[in-house]
Amino acid sequence: MLEQPKITEEQKKQLEEKLKKMSPEEIAAFQKQQCVFCKIIDGSIPSTKIYEDDRCIVVLDINPSTKGHVLLIPKHHYAIMPQVSDEDLGHLFVVAKKLSQILLKGLKVSGTNIFIANGPAAGQRAQHFLIHIIPRKEGDKLLPVKEKIIDHDMQEKVKLAIERSLNKLLGVKSVTSPKVEVEKKPAVIDADLDVEEIFGSKNKDKFEEQDDELEEDSEDSEEKEGGANLDEIANLFK
Amino acid sequence: MVCEFCEILERKSGKEQILFEDQDVVIAVRDSVLTPGQITVFPKKHVPILETVEDSILKRCAVLVNKVSMAVFESFGSGGTNILVKNGLGAGQIMPHFGIEIIPRQEGDGLELAWDGNPLAEDEQELTLHLLQEAFASLNRPDEVKPEEKKVLKQKKGEDNYLVKSQRRIP
Repeated sequence: MLEQPKITEEQKKQLEEKLKKMSPEEIAAFQKQQCVFCKIIDGSIPSTKIYEDDRCIVVLDINPSTKGHVLLIPKHHYAIMPQVSDEDLGHLFVVAKKLSQILLKGLKVSGTNIFIANGPAAGQRAQHFLIHIIPRKEGDKLLPVKEKIIDHDMQEKVKLAIERSLNKLLGVKSVTSPKVEVEKKPAVIDADLDVEEIFGSKNKDKFEEQDDELEEDSEDSEEKEGGANLDEIANLFK
Repeated sequence: MVCEFCEILERKSGKEQILFEDQDVVIAVRDSVLTPGQITVFPKKHVPILETVEDSILKRCAVLVNKVSMAVFESFGSGGTNILVKNGLGAGQIMPHFGIEIIPRQEGDGLELAWDGNPLAEDEQELTLHLLQEAFASLNRPDEVKPEEKKVLKQKKGEDNYLVKSQRRIP
């Protein structure tokens, strides 16, 4: 990963002040101007390019987990995944499939990981959305993922917790609600859920806050859903 | 070998694990996860690895993964999501059915989905670059693909002829 240049506290404050006065368009332009990956794309920073088309480029990671770890980068500046257009994301996955094939053949490895870190809490360090493709060999211990079994109750809780917003995003009418009217009212199901139990006490407030926001927004146009929340996360990269 | 993904689709366990399905793709909650709240997106068709997934279905999967990720942010108050494909035995794939995992993340959740970077020596980097560029070029070379395509075309032609013939036979 490329590191950001370090800045002093004072510079940081000045920057924050400046950002507050900017319009969203200006902020987007500013982010793009500051973005190392946009500079790689326009060629002002040299890189080890493997592939390029009109939507994306592929370069070797300069600080790779292993030999052949590549970065698949959309040309458009997206800070986080929710901003990525369906067309771009679909194309990126098709290119990822090709790349995976190339790593398997070219490096004679026995597997690949496609990996996306979306948001700082997920380990995203670049301010430009990108996809990692990592060549793997048995026993290399690169991404040690240990799965555990969750019981039926937990599965049901997860399903109930996510169902409403997922259905909204997918444009599906809730299966659990018998009448269409129910959708307009705040969902009763969510209130009964013990969020604390599922996701730890830390997130309970967040969960409830978001729920309120959603209820307020529910009459608005569909495009706005969850916007504030995602923008907040995207703006962490300012 | 029993396929966990196909069993979810056939609802063999007697419990409903599916959140959404369309013609080609399923969104489900699996029994075995890295952290509660993890959701899996997978094609209905039993295809073992990424390389065998049709482009159109892969694109649909990608779009659905993004929607699930957004829903995870909204519903669980997550600070982030990881998207992970384990492709091939070396990458820790257990079920021979391609799938994409959406993993909810929180600061300090203890999930170690990260790595220590090791910059390559310059000559090694050159070599890797060359190997991959070459592999890419050979994948796109048209003469390597042609023979198979021709075969498929011929078969299809034969089938058509057979169907046309059998139709003609019907009075």
